Amino acid sequence: MSLPPEYANPPLPEGINVTRTHPLADFARLLGGVAVVVVAVVGVSAVAAARLARFVPFSAEAAAVQRFERVFPEAGGGPVEPWLRDLTARIAAASRLPSGMTVTVHYVQEPTVNAFATLGGHVVMYAGLLEKLESENAVAMVLAHEVAHVKLRHPASTLGRGLVLGLALTLVSTATGSDMVGNVLGPAGLLTVLSFSRRQEREADEAAAGALATLYGHTGGAPDLFRAIEVQRTGGSPPAFLSTHPLDAERIAAVESLARARGWPTTGATRPVPPDVRAAVRRATERAAPGVVD
Amino acid sequence: MDHFNLIVFLGLLLLGYVAGRIAESRHYRSIRQREAELGDVLVFASRFPPDFRVRPQTLVGGSVVVGEDYFKSIVAALQKLVGGRLKSYETLLDRARREAVLRMKEEARQKGASMVVNVKFQTFSIPGRNPNSLRAVEVLAYGTALGPAMPRG
Repeated sequence: MSLPPEYANPPLPEGINVTRTHPLADFARLLGGVAVVVVAVVGVSAVAAARLARFVPFSAEAAAVQRFERVFPEAGGGPVEPWLRDLTARIAAASRLPSGMTVTVHYVQEPTVNAFATLGGHVVMYAGLLEKLESENAVAMVLAHEVAHVKLRHPASTLGRGLVLGLALTLVSTATGSDMVGNVLGPAGLLTVLSFSRRQEREADEAAAGALATLYGHTGGAPDLFRAIEVQRTGGSPPAFLSTHPLDAERIAAVESLARARGWPTTGATRPVPPDVRAAVRRATERAAPGVVD
Repeated sequence: MDHFNLIVFLGLLLLGYVAGRIAESRHYRSIRQREAELGDVLVFASRFPPDFRVRPQTLVGGSVVVGEDYFKSIVAALQKLVGGRLKSYETLLDRARREAVLRMKEEARQKGASMVVNVKFQTFSIPGRNPNSLRAVEVLAYGTALGPAMPRG
């Protein structure tokens, strides 16, 4: 039985319905292109948000965080918090805070070696860090550093940048329909957050050194702070790029070169921390198990 | 936590790529071999048989459900942002169409037919419109199998 010629199934060439590119090459090209665009757009918006956040009035920032103020610990009595309040008030005056800007210091009786500034002008100081500092000047350097963060509106800038990055991650995840894409782009965005943050730390160090010079006539005591933190860090320092704070040796050098440039003496008489404050701090750190670093 | 996610992601990506490549090359080998074996079962898009002698007719079909691997889904997710050909799905659907035709031909041969006319394809998205569900597609090939011509009586 023979069929008409149009009723034939000639063998078809292989691969006519697929594009001949290696899947990995395709993947690399797409990932590279998308990553460049996303990083560029998000980076520009994050920087813009961080810059613009400074123009939000401080009163609005303070009002917005008022309802979270309960998260800060109550002063448990004792001499430490009044002493910190008094010192902070003097530093705030020396830092020439804009009118309407207030700084509230909170003392936390925990052995954590840390201090931080957050939205609404709240500064938190841990007993663990106070315990490492022997002079009032070193404590003043910490407080002046945190007051400078408040003055320079760093918490608001960081929040603005964080909001943009969070929004961008959500948008990318939604657009691609894959949480995993966002999870991978997340850490890539984190590196830029950290590097911005290091610039902010440097700015705060500079402003703090200025406040210290105004208050005591010299910047002595500032290196004590950095050395105290450095001793505390175990297992070696992380590379500068991955760290939120510039390396301690770099910070000492930066403050000293700034002091030389401005003509501030880098050494001078330092005041000790009052004995009753030191005793209270030591009691607080001994009560809690020693431990958490940074 | 971020690192954990990254490791899980890279692990899934590698698994998807390696397993997907192995499955794909095996499947293509099998497709080419069976296409040669079933070459004598002819398929035509035409609705008309080659002549109008009386033949037994029966419906035959072959269905395949094909799903993406993780690697292909990520490449497609990235491609979706910029548009263009979804190249990572091309081989998937090429395999699904050819496999569906092969299954249809097998059925036709079992029924004693030597050709299938009026061959059509149909696809159906398994998750339907739910974008969060499994992403898979059914490819169905079906046609009219024609048996040997009956002797004229």
